[in-house]
Amino acid sequence: MNDELERLILNNRTSFQDEEPPEGHFERFEARLQKASKPARKIYFQPIFKIAAIVVLALLIVNQARIYFFPEKQNAFSLGSISEEYREVEFYYTNAIQLGMTQWEKLKNDGMISKSDDQIMQKEQAEFDQMYRKLQEDLKANPDDERVINAMLEYYQARMNIMTIIINKLQEVKQQKYQNNEIKI
Amino acid sequence: MESQYQNIYHEVIEKCRKGDTKAQFELYKLYYKPIYNICLRMVGNTVEAEDVMQEAFLKAFTKIDTYEGKVSFGAWLKRIVINRSLDQLKKRKVKFEELNEKIPDEEPVKIEISEIQMEHLKKTVQKLPDGYRVILSLHLLEGYDHEEIAQILGITNVSSRTQYLRAKLKLRQMLHKEELFEYN
Repeated sequence: MNDELERLILNNRTSFQDEEPPEGHFERFEARLQKASKPARKIYFQPIFKIAAIVVLALLIVNQARIYFFPEKQNAFSLGSISEEYREVEFYYTNAIQLGMTQWEKLKNDGMISKSDDQIMQKEQAEFDQMYRKLQEDLKANPDDERVINAMLEYYQARMNIMTIIINKLQEVKQQKYQNNEIKI
Repeated sequence: MESQYQNIYHEVIEKCRKGDTKAQFELYKLYYKPIYNICLRMVGNTVEAEDVMQEAFLKAFTKIDTYEGKVSFGAWLKRIVINRSLDQLKKRKVKFEELNEKIPDEEPVKIEISEIQMEHLKKTVQKLPDGYRVILSLHLLEGYDHEEIAQILGITNVSSRTQYLRAKLKLRQMLHKEELFEYN
């Protein structure tokens, strides 16, 4: 009997499938479809917005990192920032100092400079750098102050002069050494 | 017949993939009736059934890209609708296991099958408790076997079988009672 009931349902499956939804369901669905298709379009554009947001964020991060890691470049305020002439002056001095340093390195490689002497030189260079940074700040705060500009120029001159004196002296010593060697031979 | 569906409506389905709302509405018109009837039997009332059916259609359209054509579109849609209906039933905290209603085993309820009117039978099925109605519908009308039902409902194979038997007993009891009322 149990199976009879089962069979009755199975044989009349179709009559279990002829219910109609409440009236107006087509219109209601159409409205829902319209409503849903709008956010769907939004979803379509969303990846673009996402990419744009990521790009903007990446640029911001890069910029922030640049400011953080290379503050000198961003905030660099030197003699050159004041006028074109000073830029030339600055260029001359920095070049000269740079040249002095390469010569120093060369002499060091030739074995003319002891380790302790090199350490003294490095320490002095560091002191010079520190002084330079302080002057830079002063200059940034008072770009029109002649005294600061003069101090900056004096700094460059002093640094270059010391460098030249040392290098010249070392070259002299080196020359003498060669001569001594030659005499000995 | 199921595979034929796929071929017949292939073009419409492809248009739906591209987000064509006209095609989507057309697909709704093609499938709403069987889908609605599944919903109605699952959730048990017309208002919720319509809502669940339409939601299921919308969901199907948004994830139509996941339809690979391995089964007929109707069968794919059916699974979405069933899952959506189950979500609805979960809100009512319907349990498919542990229905502890006491149904005396082997109670010889005699009903004259030949005298049962189809309309009456349909109504009685609709009146079954949610859990019983769902299992009975899934097995008898949707044609899922107990293994599939177990998977769909997240219950054991054995539970599916026992609940199905209980559902049938309950149905017979209800039919019997109403029969008596009619005579009195």
